[in-house]
Amino acid sequence: MSVRVQDLSPLPVAANLDDEGLAQYEATYTSRFQVWAEVLQRNVENIHRGSYSLHWLNTDQANWGKRAKPSSRGMTYTDINRIRGYGDAPDKAEWFNFAPRGAVREPYRHEMPVIEEYTVVDKGELWADNVITLYEEAKARQWNATRDIPWEELEALPEDLEKATCQLCTFLTEIEFAAGDFPAKWMYRIPQDFLEVKSFLATQIMDEARHQEVFRKRAIAGGGLLHAAPGFEWALTAILNAPTHTMGTFLLNLLGEGLVLSIFRSGEMIAKTHVDKEIFRRCLQDEARHVSYGVLEFKNYLDTHPNRAAAEEQMHRFCDIGEQVVLSAFVEPALIEPIAVLLGGGLKHIDQGMEGVAHMWRMFIAEYQQRCKAAGFDRSTRCTIPAEFPWGKAA
Amino acid sequence: MNAVAEDTRKVVPFPSAAWFAELGDLMKANRARQEHLGYIDCSVAFTVTDGSADGLARHFRVVFEEFEAVDVAEVDAAAAAAADFGLAASGATWRAMIDSIAAGDGRPALTQTLNYLSHMGTPLTLVAADPLKSDLYYRYNQSLQEFVNASCAFHTVYSSAR
Ligand SMILES: [Fe+2]
Repeated sequence: MSVRVQDLSPLPVAANLDDEGLAQYEATYTSRFQVWAEVLQRNVENIHRGSYSLHWLNTDQANWGKRAKPSSRGMTYTDINRIRGYGDAPDKAEWFNFAPRGAVREPYRHEMPVIEEYTVVDKGELWADNVITLYEEAKARQWNATRDIPWEELEALPEDLEKATCQLCTFLTEIEFAAGDFPAKWMYRIPQDFLEVKSFLATQIMDEARHQEVFRKRAIAGGGLLHAAPGFEWALTAILNAPTHTMGTFLLNLLGEGLVLSIFRSGEMIAKTHVDKEIFRRCLQDEARHVSYGVLEFKNYLDTHPNRAAAEEQMHRFCDIGEQVVLSAFVEPALIEPIAVLLGGGLKHIDQGMEGVAHMWRMFIAEYQQRCKAAGFDRSTRCTIPAEFPWGKAA
Repeated sequence: MNAVAEDTRKVVPFPSAAWFAELGDLMKANRARQEHLGYIDCSVAFTVTDGSADGLARHFRVVFEEFEAVDVAEVDAAAAAAADFGLAASGATWRAMIDSIAAGDGRPALTQTLNYLSHMGTPLTLVAADPLKSDLYYRYNQSLQEFVNASCAFHTVYSSAR
């Protein structure tokens, strides 16, 4: 039986606002937004008078007349950004409303609202030179976890391998949820002038939604979700709580997703079914885009910072904590043990699998250091995560 | 009537530029699939570390742009190093992968995917100047996998030296 989209039931509605809350909203709106009332009144009067304005036909202050031409891929941001007046994101945003970059907006500034939540105002705090490319690529390489995975081919595995797969998927579902919340939290802080970054973050949110979806589906199709873990939760909370966009992006995109990219690649390698391989391959593609943004965003932050040495030192201090909190996810038995079981080929071979985990650990730390280096940040002597997997060191 | 149908597929030698060019032509022929997978923008040096008659390396550079392989050529080591990233393995490793793809009718065994072979650094080695370049291998991994999977459409013959 096929399911029609319009028959899917809606989500439950949020709790209703009580009378007092509504009265407060009314009072705030009428006291704080008098300008809005004036604009409304003026325009209503014009309508009553039947009087045209036609001011919008005036192009004196507009970037009018040069038409953008599509490239072979269609009309990209790069194509429209070539037209004078549209492509230059300012070093510091000064527009805190929705007025489009490149539109005639100055004459109306005094009558426009200010969105106080738009707090990421420095280009250095979010721009990356690859962000437009990544945005176009992200749109072009979207996939559908419902349709693009050959679910009908999924076969039951021996119990230990099935449980290990489902546990790994439980971990991944848990972390992908927060990986979407982080860009969602900051996306709302980004003003119009940085619309390309905002657009890219929208794709990242979609990617993460699909990742938590696909792993949730895989677990439930294989027997069920297994154990959540406090170590994951603390790592994820640290990402959400990062004090600045750059710090959080470092922790999520460069360090965290760098780690998850390694896990996806390992997942593809240790997958016991073609279905799982396809899932991991699809996900690792998305993850690598997020990592690439993280590296160049951080590079841009350091390169444009007025006091680079101070910025680096601040990041080192942040990393001292950040690495340790992210480590709290990577040492969770609910993560490394199922990986070891899958690497070893069964619970009986978990010891053998741990050797593979040690290899992965080494590789992950080396890649993390290389990514820092590519951003112009030398963490080699200060990294707080040991280069070697400390398994059984105390034994 | 013969019990076994005759193999009428094209015969293409490996390693050769013609082999990679054939895959490029198949990409073009399967444009709709490429559009579904999305853009692939990178240059890749496929290296057969013992690919020549005297056991030396041979490099094949494939330049991917949008939905196509726009350039395929056998190149020297310097040109191979200038590609965004390289994938290097012995002839035997490539052969096992290609044979597995053929046996699976376009889908390699679990232990013969590009990522499986490259993940631990051996037997297939990912070579890139920096992590942003190696990330390209990951960003386009499904497309690259399907690029080599398409080799099941023709019959690969291996040079006698290998
Ligand atoms: Fe993700």
